[in-house]
Amino acid sequence: MNPAVISFVIYTAILAAIGIWSYRIVEKVPIAKYEKEFYAAGRGLGGVFVAMIIAGGLASAGTFIAGPGMCYAYGYSWVLINNDQIFMNLMLLAPIGIMVGLAARRVNAITYLDMFRARYESKAIIILLAILVTVFLLPYMGTQFVGAARVISQMTGMGYFASLALGSVVVLVYCVLGGMRGTSLATLLQGIVITVGCLMLFIGTVSYAGGFQKSTEAVASLDMKLLSPTMDGEFPPMFALSLALMSGFFIVGMPHAMLGALTYKNTRALKRGIWLGAVLVFIWTTLLCLAGAMARAIVPDLAVPDEIAPWLAMNVMPKAFGGIVLAGIVAGIQTTVAAMAIIITSSIAKNLLKEIKPAVSGREVKVASRVTMAGCLSLAIAVALFQPRLIQWIIFFSIGGLVSATFGPILLGMHWKRGNKWGTIASVVWGMIIYGLAYTLVPQLKVWGTHPSFISVLTSIIVYVLVSLATAKPSETVLRTFWGEPRYR
Amino acid sequence: MKFSEDPRIRVARRGLAVAWIYFALYLLVYMGLSYTLGIEPYVLGLPRWVTFGNLLVPFLFVVMLIFVAEKLIPDVPLTDEEKEEEDET
Repeated sequence: MNPAVISFVIYTAILAAIGIWSYRIVEKVPIAKYEKEFYAAGRGLGGVFVAMIIAGGLASAGTFIAGPGMCYAYGYSWVLINNDQIFMNLMLLAPIGIMVGLAARRVNAITYLDMFRARYESKAIIILLAILVTVFLLPYMGTQFVGAARVISQMTGMGYFASLALGSVVVLVYCVLGGMRGTSLATLLQGIVITVGCLMLFIGTVSYAGGFQKSTEAVASLDMKLLSPTMDGEFPPMFALSLALMSGFFIVGMPHAMLGALTYKNTRALKRGIWLGAVLVFIWTTLLCLAGAMARAIVPDLAVPDEIAPWLAMNVMPKAFGGIVLAGIVAGIQTTVAAMAIIITSSIAKNLLKEIKPAVSGREVKVASRVTMAGCLSLAIAVALFQPRLIQWIIFFSIGGLVSATFGPILLGMHWKRGNKWGTIASVVWGMIIYGLAYTLVPQLKVWGTHPSFISVLTSIIVYVLVSLATAKPSETVLRTFWGEPRYR
Repeated sequence: MKFSEDPRIRVARRGLAVAWIYFALYLLVYMGLSYTLGIEPYVLGLPRWVTFGNLLVPFLFVVMLIFVAEKLIPDVPLTDEEKEEEDET
């Protein structure tokens, strides 16, 4: 059997074991504490877990497959663009981590939408956001499975559908059985595998290319544009800046990133999650991107640029090591899918269900959680059956849509007492309309060559502020819950 | 009853300020160097703007972040009881 297949099967078996072990832990938890255990791992995660969950959740196929692919296709200009994501953990945990940590404990919020419920006291917002989160995250999850299946297929020689099954079913097992507990344990293992895989791929590529100098000269002889920071004007600074805003300042709006803020144990864990996350994403992003850019010197005419990472793993290093890199790439994708699955499931099985049927029992939520988790992962696998080609653009579309809808209500909602439910509803609707128009009928809205999320986020913030100021203040209960001293609550 | 703000909110606001200023500074330095340094002469075998703007600067900012996060964000209890929880991995 191919050594790469053996390594990958061992990795998959360990993940399945984690799922089963986590299931036994979760099943021992009393039904009254089940939701907190399933969705927030008992709110007891330390810094390493928090770092891995946020970094692994946000760094997706876009980092592990399309990142090196774009660098292969567009040279070092895409190394520059990808480096804007290094501080995702900082930009999520520092701005809202402490506010979410305080308020979540006061109102016993364990999901993303619990926080919205407590802050805005609106059924309409929960329904609206549950729908939007599902609509944007499902295709995103689908593209992750596509990426995983392509990598597995290329490296093992298995067919696409068998590869899809191998890469996706195990995620279904540990997410459905273990919830956040299983996901966090799996993510810890996956974070280690990803980091080792990235280091091995980078060292193998540099060695095979004969060092930096040789590879740079070879790339320059192919096309000098590949060495330019803008690809000779193809990616102007404003375009790079707008993506940097999306991966930096706007990242607070990503619902699956909120998991870390809801699950960390204390501020020491939060701070460790911030800097350890930066270390991990720096290693993953920079090494893979440099390998992708240098690979042009090794294989100048690969038909599908997204296949460069697995190609390198199979051709520049020993086969057994290639299996570890394969596991690393697929692990990076699986962590993202798992985080998204938790968010979609909590949105539907916990928040939406409770809005529709307030008297729902704990046992019913438990059953609904597992059924919904299995359902949404199955739907994402179904999306992957269609094998969409342009993964990176679908990822940007989903991220842009999510931050357009939620950036203002989350960030301003946590720091501005005057923000209210009407401001939130108006900004979500406005953000979606502008985002949709910029993508379709009115491309002129992409001002200065920026990504559509730029204009939609900026204008939706203005709408949030104006509508909030023009309508009633939030209730005293909200003010005391989010900002009040403990003795006044 | 008079509304009085929880003092921990100031720490939360400081977290926001630290993150936004730090990231803005990072963007300014790494993008500024990347778009101004030029390709040649190569440094460590890579285009000059890549070595300084995309390897050295991110590395330095990642290392500095360890001190910034640990020193500028104080520890606060997250529950309304006074004692802080124990740390774990």
